[in-house]
Amino acid sequence: MTTIQERRPGVINEAYYEEPATKPPPLLAVGPLAWVRENLFGSLMDTCLTIAGTLLVIGVIWSFLAWAISWANWFSVTLNLRLFMIGRVEQFMDLRALVLALFICFILGVNLAALARVSRRVWGALTITLALLYLLPALINATVPLPPTYLAAGQIEIVSGSVTEVPVPTLGFIAHSGETITIQVAHGIADSDAALEKLNSFTDRATNAIRNAAENRLETEARIAELNTLLAGDTLTVRQREAASSELASLEVPPPVNEALAVNQTPVDVRILDANFEPLASATLTTDTEPLTIAVPRDGWYILEKSVEGNDSSVDILAINGVYPILERNFLRSDPTDTNAGPQRVYQYCRATDIFMVEGGRPRIDGEDIPAIGIIDHQYKNARPFSDYLILMLAPLLNQIQLPVALFVALTAIGYSGARWVDRQFSPASKPRSTSRRAATWLWIVLPVVAFILIAGIMPNGPLQFSDSQLWGGLLLTMLLTAVGIVGAFPIGIALALGRRSSLPVVSTFSTLYIEVVRGVPLVTVLFMSMLLVPFVIPSLGGPDTAPYRAMVAVTLFSAAYLAENVRGGLQSLPPGQEEAAKALGLAGWQITLYITLPQALRAVIPALVGQFISLYKDTSLVAIVGLIDLTGVTKNVAAQTEFQSLLRETYVFISVIYFIFSYVMSVVSRRIEASGSGAARRV
Amino acid sequence: MNAQKIEEKPKTEIAGDEPIIICRSVNKWFGEFHVLRDVSVEVAPKEVVVVIGPSGSGKSTFIRCINRLEEHQEGQIIVDGMELSHDVRNIAAVRREIGMVFQQFNLFPHLTVLQNITLAPTKVRRRSRDDADTKAMQLLERVGIPEQANKYPGQLSGGQQQRVAIARALAMEPKIMLFDEPTSALDPEMIKEVLDVMKELAHSGMTMIVVTHEMGFAREVADRVLFFDQGRIVEQGTPDYFFESAQHPRTKLFLSQIL
Repeated sequence: MTTIQERRPGVINEAYYEEPATKPPPLLAVGPLAWVRENLFGSLMDTCLTIAGTLLVIGVIWSFLAWAISWANWFSVTLNLRLFMIGRVEQFMDLRALVLALFICFILGVNLAALARVSRRVWGALTITLALLYLLPALINATVPLPPTYLAAGQIEIVSGSVTEVPVPTLGFIAHSGETITIQVAHGIADSDAALEKLNSFTDRATNAIRNAAENRLETEARIAELNTLLAGDTLTVRQREAASSELASLEVPPPVNEALAVNQTPVDVRILDANFEPLASATLTTDTEPLTIAVPRDGWYILEKSVEGNDSSVDILAINGVYPILERNFLRSDPTDTNAGPQRVYQYCRATDIFMVEGGRPRIDGEDIPAIGIIDHQYKNARPFSDYLILMLAPLLNQIQLPVALFVALTAIGYSGARWVDRQFSPASKPRSTSRRAATWLWIVLPVVAFILIAGIMPNGPLQFSDSQLWGGLLLTMLLTAVGIVGAFPIGIALALGRRSSLPVVSTFSTLYIEVVRGVPLVTVLFMSMLLVPFVIPSLGGPDTAPYRAMVAVTLFSAAYLAENVRGGLQSLPPGQEEAAKALGLAGWQITLYITLPQALRAVIPALVGQFISLYKDTSLVAIVGLIDLTGVTKNVAAQTEFQSLLRETYVFISVIYFIFSYVMSVVSRRIEASGSGAARRV
Repeated sequence: MNAQKIEEKPKTEIAGDEPIIICRSVNKWFGEFHVLRDVSVEVAPKEVVVVIGPSGSGKSTFIRCINRLEEHQEGQIIVDGMELSHDVRNIAAVRREIGMVFQQFNLFPHLTVLQNITLAPTKVRRRSRDDADTKAMQLLERVGIPEQANKYPGQLSGGQQQRVAIARALAMEPKIMLFDEPTSALDPEMIKEVLDVMKELAHSGMTMIVVTHEMGFAREVADRVLFFDQGRIVEQGTPDYFFESAQHPRTKLFLSQIL
């Protein structure tokens, strides 16, 4: 320590020559606690914002989950997954689309090996995810019972408001070999109208009517009690009192529904027949009898008959396990063994609860299809308990996606490990990833060809027969438009950007004009022009089968203009010294562009480019407006089906998730590219 | 390299015959502004010419005209027997023979050091990649940073970057090297390492034109010093003459302010 008196003109810090001692920071200056204190509770304002924000987020998530679990009807998603993924394409496209997806996964795996190392933690997380994907639905199916289906029996007309329903005496349903069907008279629900009102599960129309009648009656009762309380008090004005009195006079409490309809008072005859009307089991059930139980001998159609014995004034509600609403689909399919025969219409029946499927064979009476337990009339009613959500919604979805997802992961892993192995065998030590890098490049180059062969087909018959481009749809079409848009718009955009900076007036004027005109027009307009104007101007290109191609061209040309401006921004951001240095080295103009300015410009605008690609990806949803059935178009179609009418919320939530996943992947990849190679070095 | 003691460079005899650069009455305007006024210089092979002068005096513009990064509008510039005109082939040929080092290094940030150096030899001179790599490593050895070959410019210090820039220019095996204030953007601690490389280069017999404010370098290495002001060569001469007995009042004023 030097005191002021001792100050000399020059002093050496002797401590400088020693290894400086490092002191640990104070306890509350580092670590998560310090971060929380500094960033979330730094000031009064911060604290308020943190608390308000947290409450808001919790509230939103909570109400969303409550809706998604208790009320949302996800059958519109689980029953239409194929439609969402590939649209209404021919059956042979299932396999081809899967092969294409697997091929892409393989390329991604190879590319991953060329760019990065997958840590053990990621492998672990993937394995756990896959295991969950298989174990979770198995666990749910093993432990959670399926809820019963409630069906009313009887001959009486059930009136609820303006609706009058008579229980259907005969119903068709599909069942899987080895399943058990249990039929009993529903316990407990006939005791009071309050119990009837709370009936939640699959219900037919007649049961719905009973439930609604009970609900109406309880509501009327509650209203009368409310009015009486109001009239007894002295809070009302004269006018309000008059209105309340007249309302009270008009209200009439109907007799209890359970008593009026004599619910579950009469024995009910139940019979189960197979598709050939051979009886399998029958019983006369009351609330006290043992349930009728029957094991299903084989997959197929069965018939349920139910009637109330001789009594015209009573209704029974049956609680049935093993009989669930089904969805009817039909499509054209040609026989693979007989190529001469034209395509036949195939009827497919799909059980909503577990996607169990039966084709054709629907029993008929007097030439009429017998009524089936369709999901229109047997919708799930009332708030769903969590267990019902798991078994009805989650398990079927996971069951459907587990195999494809497992295959995707497997192919990615194979591509990755294969590329690693090839690298170890063939890459020189100085460039340990050169082989996989070359392989990835070649695979990406081959991909468009493979994709075209698989999607469009190249021969009139056989496994690679031509597909009908009008039927392309769903995620397949969305990805197709996006991929073609990106691959096509990228070079055109670069050319336009260079063109706009060109010293040749013709080139720069054309580029500028193109960019400004296209940027001045909405994409919808461009799409409509491609759909409406092209057939008129060039009829040979205007057929309906070229519609997807025309949309691709429209999207490509549209995006190119925006890309051009992004690239031009990158070119302008380069310091002029780069070009000068390149000139001074004797590089020709095109070499400067190719090796010096363009690579740097593109790297500088990666965020903007990826932003453009993501917006292109999302903008493809506009083709739904001009009649193509992409992911968004499928949503509109699904919501237009009678079975899934007004289920727009569920379907839009679902496709939002799909859109988000792919957009997010793109943005993560772009961040990785930015951070890799010279991108990382530049920021040092 | 830095530790090496560089021998005193024997002053080049300025022979009158066969100058490698000839400038005759070069005039240039930026819009209305007259940057170069009747500049006439001849540079002999192996000669080291240092150009000094105040900012805006046209020294940078002058050497940028020599490899046609700027176009002169009047007069003649003949480099290695080729006249610089609008003929693109001549420009390309001249640029192949002239290396240039910039104040801001202007390395290509997206390429590694090695790629920076080998780009022009492989693309312009059509050398094989192996040859170019070998040559590049020799040059990196010469400028003293072979261990940085696979780094990106952004990972190097300013002095190292400038040495890479010199190596990059040398990789084209030029007959002439132009230096445009090569040390002006460097930290004082790094100036020496770059100057050492330049001294070594001068010593090896390279024809050099150097725009610089490093008077020590000029005094030690230059065969001739040109003093520019307002687009004209005010005075020129050997370093001894220039720093000891310059005549022109403008030169005296300039020297009195910087020395």
